[in-house]
Amino acid sequence: MTAAIIVGLLTAGGTYLILQRGLVRVVLGFILLGHATTTLLVAAGGVGRRGIAILGQQGVAEQPADPLPQAFALTAIVISFGITAFLLALAARGRTVLGGDDVEQPAEPDEADRG
Amino acid sequence: MILLAVLGGTFALSAIAPLLVRAFDREAAWALAAALAGATGILAGYGPAVVRGDAVVAHVAWVPGADLALSLRMDALAFLFALIVLGIGAVVMAYSARYFAAGAAQTGRTLGLLVFFAASMLGLVLADNALLLFVFWELTSVSSFFLIGGRGEGQAGATRALLTTSAGGLALLAGMVLLGIDGGTFALSSLLADQTLATSPLAPAVIVLLLLAAFTKSAQLPFHFWLPGAMVAPTPISTYLHAATMVKAGIYLLFRMTPLYGDVALWRSSVIAVGLATALVGAVVALVKTDLKALLAYGTVSQLGFLTALIGIGSPLAVAAAAVHTLAHALFKATLFMSVGVIDHEVGTRDLDELGGLRRAMPGLAAAGGLAALSMAGLPPLLGFVSKEEALAAFIEAPGPEWLGIVATGLVVAVSIGTFAYSARYYWRTFEGPQAPGLTVNRAPATFVAAPLATAITGAAIGVSVPVLNPVENAVALVTTGTDPGLALALWHGWTLPLVLSGVVVAGGLALFALRDRVEGWQRRFATPLRGDRAFDGAYDALLAAGKHVGASASSSVPAVYLVPVLAVLGTLGAGAVVWDELGPQGAPAPSLGPDWVIIGLLVVSVVGVVQARSRIGAVATLGFTGYLVAAWFVVLGAPDLALTQLLVETLTVAVVVLAFRRLPSAFTFARPSRRVTSAVVAVIAGVLTAVATYALAGRRGLSDVGAWYLSEAQAETGGANIVNTILVDFRALDTLGEITVLAVAAGGIYALLRLGDPTGLGPRWTVEDHPAPRATPTEANRKLQR
Repeated sequence: MTAAIIVGLLTAGGTYLILQRGLVRVVLGFILLGHATTTLLVAAGGVGRRGIAILGQQGVAEQPADPLPQAFALTAIVISFGITAFLLALAARGRTVLGGDDVEQPAEPDEADRG
Repeated sequence: MILLAVLGGTFALSAIAPLLVRAFDREAAWALAAALAGATGILAGYGPAVVRGDAVVAHVAWVPGADLALSLRMDALAFLFALIVLGIGAVVMAYSARYFAAGAAQTGRTLGLLVFFAASMLGLVLADNALLLFVFWELTSVSSFFLIGGRGEGQAGATRALLTTSAGGLALLAGMVLLGIDGGTFALSSLLADQTLATSPLAPAVIVLLLLAAFTKSAQLPFHFWLPGAMVAPTPISTYLHAATMVKAGIYLLFRMTPLYGDVALWRSSVIAVGLATALVGAVVALVKTDLKALLAYGTVSQLGFLTALIGIGSPLAVAAAAVHTLAHALFKATLFMSVGVIDHEVGTRDLDELGGLRRAMPGLAAAGGLAALSMAGLPPLLGFVSKEEALAAFIEAPGPEWLGIVATGLVVAVSIGTFAYSARYYWRTFEGPQAPGLTVNRAPATFVAAPLATAITGAAIGVSVPVLNPVENAVALVTTGTDPGLALALWHGWTLPLVLSGVVVAGGLALFALRDRVEGWQRRFATPLRGDRAFDGAYDALLAAGKHVGASASSSVPAVYLVPVLAVLGTLGAGAVVWDELGPQGAPAPSLGPDWVIIGLLVVSVVGVVQARSRIGAVATLGFTGYLVAAWFVVLGAPDLALTQLLVETLTVAVVVLAFRRLPSAFTFARPSRRVTSAVVAVIAGVLTAVATYALAGRRGLSDVGAWYLSEAQAETGGANIVNTILVDFRALDTLGEITVLAVAAGGIYALLRLGDPTGLGPRWTVEDHPAPRATPTEANRKLQR
């Protein structure tokens, strides 16, 4: 239940942002969607078992969490960071090329004129 | 192997041609001409064996899996065409040595492409594999496109030619593939020997496709329009591709497939009907054109139609006559085009209305043009006369219903009358009569006139000694129809019906020529209502417009336009999956704990903060906070590695965002309120759907088998106590390598974006002051804010 709410919350925020004008807000939305995805991956392993999957002296903890989705999520976090950085570089470059952060400017001059 | 050597040598020659031109300028064309003439001689040496029926073959497996082999075979038919391709190629090369201006920039490219075309055409006629034939066929289309080239109207003509012939090329591929599947092999000679293929259920489809290919390539109705359009090409190219060889590729295909389909009614009726119609239309239009190249182009269309109809008749006699006429046409049409090139070059115009009386200034050229015109008109003792006589005989004796022979012969006589008239028109209005006032004629060098004179004299010489052709023509008929017609070519056969018809043609042609002014006036009053090139352009433009229309819905700079459909599809799929019984909730939902609700409460605040942030500082702060909350959630879930990574990555992300903000405006651009409401609605729907799907589908089962195995075996297998770590670096190390690769690629991309192609050449500067001022003025920014 709680995992579902967290995923839904992050998805809603991310979806709203990527539908907005301006590359930076789109990137922010992408970051939120990335969080939503990693959370979903972890939730897929089941959030009922929350024991840490590190073997101590006495062996496996009680109710250990599924380690496989965690490994997937870890990879996902790093990759989404790489993409985020790339998107930000695109936005920064776009600023130099387009003269602004708003990608929708050049193709919609009529809208801009109407103000 | 000699075939492979000649073919490969010709392709190699095309590669070194531009280098030769760089070294010796246009004089290099002489060397190319000599090389092609040498190749002609080598193949001609195999003539006696080929005529006896011993085909020369070469075979190299190329793509055995696709039954595609580099297999070549030179039988009598291929021999005839190969000699035309190489022989005319040599003459055209020699002609090019004077046609192109000394030091012209394009000479190397053009000559290289011309030789490349010659090699492709040679490959086409020698290919003994259906797919190989297609490959060479397409190579000729493509090299034709580059050779026509040009700008403006030239480009339009080149495009029309390419699109029309490549549409035919695709039909050829489809037809050959169907035929190959039907016959179980792609070896052409085996396919042609398998008579069951002619009656197979697939045969009609194959026939239609192959005819489409032949008709487009050989400019038959209704595809004839591309050929006159291609006349914007330089004259050597018009001569070689669009008169003597490439347009004969379709004729060659018709010849080649006759053993299989020659007796099939669909094949026969289409080929005869289309051929005769094309012959008639071409001859009529040629009567009115005043641009010499256009006149000759329509003449070519007409002659190709004549050949097509003759092959359609399909009797051994008709096929033999078609073979003679193919040679005759190549010789006289090459002469005529090259003469026009000389005129264009030395007089500066090729418009009949501005020409006249050139015989006095250019006696050599007038002789060449005159001989060729006589041959085209079908007068003795030239080769054109012999081939036309034999063709008439073949039409008269056409197998099939009696009316066919009568109708076809009547139409052919009409075509021949037209041909005679436009031949006379060409010669008379160019070389005879008074010289137009104000026309300055430069003296053409003898080396320039030599080429047209050579082909003209060859045509006359073969005409006089025409029995030398007997073995070749009869051998062509034998490989094509299986019967040796025993044709004995001669200038004089006695008083036969064809001779009488020739008399009718001469009389009618003279009459038509005498009335030429009235005929032209009459024709011009009836402008053709339907023009192929306009119809083509209309269809082409309509297709582009339709494509633009279709693409417009998916072509926007607004990301939301792309994203909403994606979200809608994903949402629908997700909702469907939840509703669908099989995928519905199974097992008990995962339990929740107290700390979860605290995190959720804080997340609501921080996500709303990111969404609503109006300044970049606010956005960064709330974004970072959201990331740390996710890390905290991982701690609660018992995933310390995830939490650590998340903390690190979030910190890095915030740092990168701040760096990027130095280059970006301090305030955000906001969309119109209506769009914000729409986005909010879409976002809430997406959020609810994902939440429901997560609740229904995720985490409702025990530990996965793989997970359990890792927990029990990982330490023994790897010696590591942290199971997640062992998965990352041992069990799924390849995934981690992929992850690192993604980072490396992203880093490279970022470097390229920020450092390379920087107009200032100074690289990125991370201070606002140093950065070039943004182009948007404050008022514009304000206006956007208000929106």
